[in-house]
Amino acid sequence: MKPIEKYVEAMENKDFAGLAELFTKDGSLCDYCTNSSSQKEYHIYGKEAIHMFFRNKFGFRQYSIAEAEVVNDTQAEFVANFGGYNIMAIATVREANDDGLIQMLTVRPK
Amino acid sequence: MGVYAISGASSGIGAKTKELLLQRGHDVVNIDLKDGDICVNLATEEGREEAIERLSKMHPEGLDGLICNAGVSGACGNLPLIISLNYFGTLALAKGGYDLLVKKHGSCVVTASNTISQGAGRMDIADLLNNIGDEKRILNLVSQMDSTNLSVGNSLYVSTKYALARWVRRVSASWAANGVRINAVAPGNVNTTMTATMSTSAKMALNALPIPTKYGQECLMDADEIAEVMVFLASDAARGVNGNVMFVDGGTDALLNTEKVY
Repeated sequence: MKPIEKYVEAMENKDFAGLAELFTKDGSLCDYCTNSSSQKEYHIYGKEAIHMFFRNKFGFRQYSIAEAEVVNDTQAEFVANFGGYNIMAIATVREANDDGLIQMLTVRPK
Repeated sequence: MGVYAISGASSGIGAKTKELLLQRGHDVVNIDLKDGDICVNLATEEGREEAIERLSKMHPEGLDGLICNAGVSGACGNLPLIISLNYFGTLALAKGGYDLLVKKHGSCVVTASNTISQGAGRMDIADLLNNIGDEKRILNLVSQMDSTNLSVGNSLYVSTKYALARWVRRVSASWAANGVRINAVAPGNVNTTMTATMSTSAKMALNALPIPTKYGQECLMDADEIAEVMVFLASDAARGVNGNVMFVDGGTDALLNTEKVY
């Protein structure tokens, strides 16, 4: 599986631990979709931070994705749900290392 | 006793912090352009690399604390320097020193500024710094701005400090998970060489920011008031403090932003 496919799978399953393992030690996940919702942008630096952050978000039902579709080798579209507020989003694996670990992933409104 | 590295400890807040650490029996390495134990220019890539290389050779056992304090004011007249030294120099030092901090579960303190809450920064520049981080492109952009306009220099200064504080918040969780705390100090206007040599108009701008603890005194904060907090944050006494942007400004931020409780 490609990193973007693994990312979608982890997000759909709310698997915060599996999600974190997709990233390099200092990998980052930046989500710019939140501006329309009541949440602030997500800028999560480091795999441990990703683990902790999404454990919280999934646990308190503040973030989920639905209707996901991988559109190419590095991008996937989905409906991101921010605590009940839906936004059409596109995630992009901007950088990955030779081992397939994600260095930088961004999520932007589509 | 511990081993601490400080950038910009030849004068001002850094010098006071160094003095306090030495008084408390610690070893201190000063990384500065002049009169440092490691004399390098942190505004350049070569200087940053040399600083980390020499620091690693001096203390291969690791660091108890790293205080990234070097910086210039918005009134320095050199816009690229504000960007290169204040933001990229600080990040490079903190990131480069991280492995040394991990070895001793040390702590990192970064000098921001209380101006970050006053709305004078260029958020587009802060976003470019944090989210893109392309030093060459940002320097090209900044080089086209009017360096003779004090408000331009000030807005870039605030942008770099805002971006630093935000970066500290962003990395703090993962750093702490690996045993390294990182916090920022946001000082108010301090009586240092940097502020003493400012132009009259720059000083007038400084005095427009009241300092409640100095009410009626027409004076700035003392460097040791900031240094005491830096030493505290770098110490084990602050082991529960991480990802914090601590305003040390005598209450200026509270005065101007009463409703901001978080």
